[in-house]
This record gives sequence, structure tokens and C-alpha cells, in this order.
Amino acid sequence: MFINIKDLCFGYNRSKNDIIHHFDLEIKQGEIVSILGESGSGKTTILRLLSGLEIPSHGNISINETLMVSDHTFVPPEKRGIGMVFQDYALFPHMTAGENIEFGLKGLRRKERKARVEEVLELVNMSEFKKRYPHEMSGGQQQRIALARALAPKPSLLLLDEPFSNLDAELQVKIRDELRDIIKQTGITSIFVTHDVADSRALADRIVTMHNGIVSDQKTVQLTR
Amino acid sequence: MKLHHIKSQYKNIWTWLSILIVLLILIPNATILVNFFTKEAESWDHIQTYILPELLTNTSLLLLFTGLLTILIGTSLAWLVAAYDFPFRRFFKWGLILPLAIPPYIAGYTYNGILNYTGVIQTTLRNQFQMEVNQSFFDILTLPGAIGIFTLFLYPYVYTMTYAFLSQQSATLIENARLLGRNATEIYFRIIIPITRGAIVGGVSLVLLEVLNDYGVVKYFGVPTFSTAIFQTWFGMGELNSAIKLSATVMFIVFGLLILEKVLRGRKKYSYTTSKVRPLEPITLTGVKRWVTFSYCALIFIIGFLVPFIQLVDWMFLTFHKVASTEFLELITNSILVATIGASMIVAFSLVIGNFARMHQGLMARSFARVTILGYSIPGAVIAVGISTVFIQLDQFLFGFYEALGIPATLHLSTSLFMLISAYVIRFLAIGYNSIEAGFDKIGTTFTEASRTLGMNVTKTFFKVDLPMMKGPLISGFMLAFIEILKELPLTLILRPFNFDTLSTKAFQYASDEQIHEAALPSLVIVLVSGLAIYFFYHVLEKEPK
Repeated sequence: MFINIKDLCFGYNRSKNDIIHHFDLEIKQGEIVSILGESGSGKTTILRLLSGLEIPSHGNISINETLMVSDHTFVPPEKRGIGMVFQDYALFPHMTAGENIEFGLKGLRRKERKARVEEVLELVNMSEFKKRYPHEMSGGQQQRIALARALAPKPSLLLLDEPFSNLDAELQVKIRDELRDIIKQTGITSIFVTHDVADSRALADRIVTMHNGIVSDQKTVQLTR
Repeated sequence: MKLHHIKSQYKNIWTWLSILIVLLILIPNATILVNFFTKEAESWDHIQTYILPELLTNTSLLLLFTGLLTILIGTSLAWLVAAYDFPFRRFFKWGLILPLAIPPYIAGYTYNGILNYTGVIQTTLRNQFQMEVNQSFFDILTLPGAIGIFTLFLYPYVYTMTYAFLSQQSATLIENARLLGRNATEIYFRIIIPITRGAIVGGVSLVLLEVLNDYGVVKYFGVPTFSTAIFQTWFGMGELNSAIKLSATVMFIVFGLLILEKVLRGRKKYSYTTSKVRPLEPITLTGVKRWVTFSYCALIFIIGFLVPFIQLVDWMFLTFHKVASTEFLELITNSILVATIGASMIVAFSLVIGNFARMHQGLMARSFARVTILGYSIPGAVIAVGISTVFIQLDQFLFGFYEALGIPATLHLSTSLFMLISAYVIRFLAIGYNSIEAGFDKIGTTFTEASRTLGMNVTKTFFKVDLPMMKGPLISGFMLAFIEILKELPLTLILRPFNFDTLSTKAFQYASDEQIHEAALPSLVIVLVSGLAIYFFYHVLEKEPK
């Protein structure tokens, strides 16, 4: 399996109840998985554990045969090669769209960096917005830049945290389809969390449901498309 | 969480730097407490029997009455400005903070100069009206006089905190009380005072810490307190160990005050948790009330700022040709030098600890954040005792090293500017830290996290993402710390290298040598810089849309 999560447990320092209880999940390469649950169900925590922003109290995560975290190893977020689109996009306000995208492209030559920035801007259809600052763009435009920024370093896995929660309903449907096209076009393995069943159905190959603050049961629904 | 995870999480340069800074703050203070119990002091018995009772009485009286009077003036002004509209209200909003620009010691000798036999009031009465007055009515160099000076020039601490609370948090409560038919006085005593308890206690504890810290006023007014006694035993009697014991006694008083503050604040149950708070809409006053309110605010502003300011300007013109010399330029250079280095270090240290504290939410991070605030509660004279003790020991420890280098084995570190600047950092770190912590709170952690998922480590993220976003808090933290250092007196007096004078020490020295007029120029520079900062922080920044 491309991604292997085994027996993952997590709780915040001072609370007695674990937020994540013995969570298991396997994902194939190129698959788009949606984690569906109400707020407080721990679905965002799963993304943060995958990206290395939180450290589990127990359990293993491996991606593409590489052990990311276990009882004896911990790979810090900057070394994991995982792209993440944050709920509020987290575009750096002091950098233009182009600079935001370029930020993750270290280790490349200047020319290659510029070319890659153009490439992903084109992918999300935002080429003319390269010089704009985040506050000069609409919510939907910011989201596309955030997606481009996450995709630019060619991560092995893309995480999206409530990708549509900041958009109005009309825009949501349009962006959802675009997002699906972009992800499919790149063929990248993706996980996104949402509380909206319609989003899950429209975007995901597979839906994992989380419940009531704890991962009680895993209902994996195979969809036929 | 497993141990190795904790280790890998903490194993970076930020942790080590933070530990180092916290030790710098803790060691001098801990030295005092340890030495209190271990060191013998020759005259301690004598001090305990003959001096300590007076110190305790004076200090208690100063704290009690300054506390009560600043609450009375601070809260009443805050209430009037927050709840009512009257002429010049918008000016008073920040103008009433201006007395804070005049350090109490400068205000003290200025008022004495206005009121004494040769001062403007008595000479006018004598020359224009042939009136000789009873000197005791005009003598402010007494304990009540000191209380008056502290009250007039420190009440803004209570005023600003209470005003901020009232204008933002109290709208619904006050409007309900009005609807229920209560008049202004009833609302003031039954609603305002109780709900603003937290803010008042916060403000008044700052006032009390300033009173404990003061050396200039009590020395000039001849009211013995701990600060003057520490100077006296240390330099007059040459007894560092007695000074240490006195310092430790002050620290116990400070801890007592801090515990009292915690208890009095209760569990902050009076503040709303929702972000949907409505600002209080002031009601327009009419008739007599309008002018009574205006006169009260104007009176406080005039005696708290305008009168001493004009007097200083007048004296400055009298003595400008004499005081403004190359020596004065040197004073300015010295002041700017120590304040710039000190404030830069404060900002840098605050960034390190602030960044550490927000990345690690544990007990260690929280206690580190608390320690940075410790220094601000400890009076300057006490910090001076602690830090000299440590530096002298350090010098003695390095004697061999000095000899090996071929330089004379004397006290190098403990006679250097380095010691003075370290003391500033300890005392004012809280000022920079508050501003930087607020900045970090505002930007949150998502940008940092985004940067790390894009392949940058903690340190690179700090310089490329966090730092550029923190420009505002950095500048304000620097400015606030700079001004505090500029005004500072007791630490500078004790710890400055031989023949090194700053604006504040020179002003105080002029005044102590009965050259009050000459003190005006250096005092005015301090007042102007502080006043401009108040204008900037409370007027210019307030207007900007949030």
C-alpha cells in the first residue's frame, strides 16, 4: 500500500480522552480519499499527524515504504514531502502569489524555479495573478494559489483541510469540479477532510467516516463512478 | 508522548537560547534570595531594630494611599471619558495619559521648584501682592507630598486599563442599568467599579510596583524607603550583605503584592468570552454637568502635565546657553547608546522566548513566559544588588583568566556598560515580550505550519515567514523598551560605569545639587520623547482601522 496508517493514537497534553483511538487506514497510490465527519471528530487531527505537525502518542505512519513516524522515529514536517492546503489557505501576506509558490521550491535553480511557478500557475488557471498579494485576491483565487503552492514541490501526497468551507455555495460547486480535474490531471494521491457529504461524494474515490470525537468505526464506502 | 519524541521536538537552538535567557534573569534574583538566608551581615541587627520599622511604615503608607488615590482618579476619568461626550473628549482620551510621560522624579523636583520660596508662585505673591505665606503650606517635600506626586503621575496606568475595559466590554451592562432607571453615580459605584475590578487591580498593581521601584522621588523628598536604604547601606555603609537582606525583604513584599493581585482579580469571571462585544456609545452631556466634567478632566491634565511641562520649558530657556554644550551632546549619545543596545537585546530575547513558547505548549514554555515578566516586578535597586553580586563573583572567577591574558586582574565586567545593559534587559524584558507575544498570538501558527509543510525548518521559517510578519510588534516593542530605559533612574545610578552619565542621571544630579533650572533641558528631552510615544501609541494607532 502507498500509505499505511497503523494503530494511531493521539491526545492533547492535558485532556484525558484521546482524540484519535487506534486509527487504521490504507490508501492506494493515486487514490482520492475523503475523511467525513462532524466538527470535533478528529478528522483534521489525522491530517496534522500525517503532515507531522502533531506527534502521535502511539502508532505508525509510512508513506511510499518510508516510515514517517513510529515509537522510534519521527520525520519532521519539512522533510516529509507532503503538500497541504490549509482551511484558511495560510498564504503568506507579505509575499505575492508567485513568491508564495516559489517559497517551497528550494534546491532548484532559479530558472527551473521560475518555470515551475509558471507551470503550476497555469495548472490552476491563475497565470495573470502572479504579482498579486493575497489580500488583492478573492477567496476562490486565494484557494487556487494555495493549491498551486502545495503542488509546486511535487509532493507525494496532498492534504486538503475543509477545502470549501470558506467559499460561498455557488462558488463551491464550480471550484469542486475544477479541483477534481486538477488533482486527477496530476495523478497525486490526495486526502481531504470535510463535513459535507455532497463534497465527499463529488470528489472522492473512497469515503472514510469518523464519529463523535473518537474514531469509533470506519465505514469505508466504495463508490462506483 | 514518548521521551524521544519530546527530545526531538525540543532539540533545537531555540530551546537552548531560551534556557540561557531565562537563566540570565533568574540567577541574579535567586542570588539575592539565597544570600538572604546564608550570608551574615554585620549591621543587619541594627537595621532591623532601628531602620526597618520606619521603612515598612513609609512604604506601606506610600503604597496604600497612592493605590487608593490612583484608583479614585484613574477610574473616574476612565468612566467619564468612556461613557460621556463633552468638550475636548477626544483629546482627553489620550491627553490624560500624558502625565505618564513625566517620570515622577522629574515631576517631583519640578513641583518643588514651582512651590518653594524662590518658585514662581511665592515670588509672584511676594512681589505683586506683598504676601508672605506660611512655608509649611508650600512644603511638598514630605510623605504626603510624595504620595501626591506618585498619584498625579502614575494614575494613567489605572486610567488606560480601566478605559480599555469599559469602552469595549461594558456596553450591554451599562445600558441595561440605565434602562433600569439607575443614575450615573449609582451606576459608577454599583456597576462600573465591580465589573472593572480586574482592570483596576491590574492597573493599580503596576502603580504600586512603580512606587516600590522609585528612588528619585523618595530620595529627593527625604522619605526613607527600601530603595534609599539599599543605596545607603551599600554605598554609605559599604555593606553589600545588608543591602542584599533589604533587597530580599522587598522581594517578599513584591511576591505578596503579586499574590494579592491574583486573589483580587479572582477568576476573571467579569469578562466576556465572545468576540461579539459592542463598543460603549457615549451620551452627550448638557448644561452644568458638561462643564463640570470638562473642568475635572482639564484640571487633572493641567496639573498632571501642562504646568510641569511649561515650567520645564521656562527653565530650559533660562539655562539653555549654559547646559547645551558638548557635554550635553555626550549625555544624549550615552542615553541613545544604552537605550538602543538594551532595547535591541530585549526585542531579540523576546522573539526567542516568544517563538519557543508558541511552538511548545508545555509547562516549560509557560513558565519561561512567566519568568520574562518577573524582572518587571522587581525594583531597580534590588536588581542592581543582584546583578552586581553575580558580576563581581564572575570577575573574581575570571581573575586567573585576566592574568593569563596579561591584563590587570581587577573588576572588568562589573565596571562595564555590559552589566548596566544586562540589568536593563532583566528589568524591561516584560515590556518587549508583551508586545511580541501579542504579535505572535495575532499571526497564529498556520503560516508557520504552512511553511514547514513546504520544506522549511523551524529556523528558516522564522526568518522568512515569522519575522517579516512581526514587523509591527517588533517596532512597538523596541520603542516601548527604549523609552523605559531612557527614563530609568535607580539602575542607571547604581550600575553605570565611572563618569558615565545619561539624561536621567544628569537631570537627577542637577536637581539634587539644587540646580533645578539646569535639570530642565535633559528632563525635557525625556518628557518629549515619551510624550511623542504616547501620542503615537494611544492616538495614531487607535485611529487606524483594525
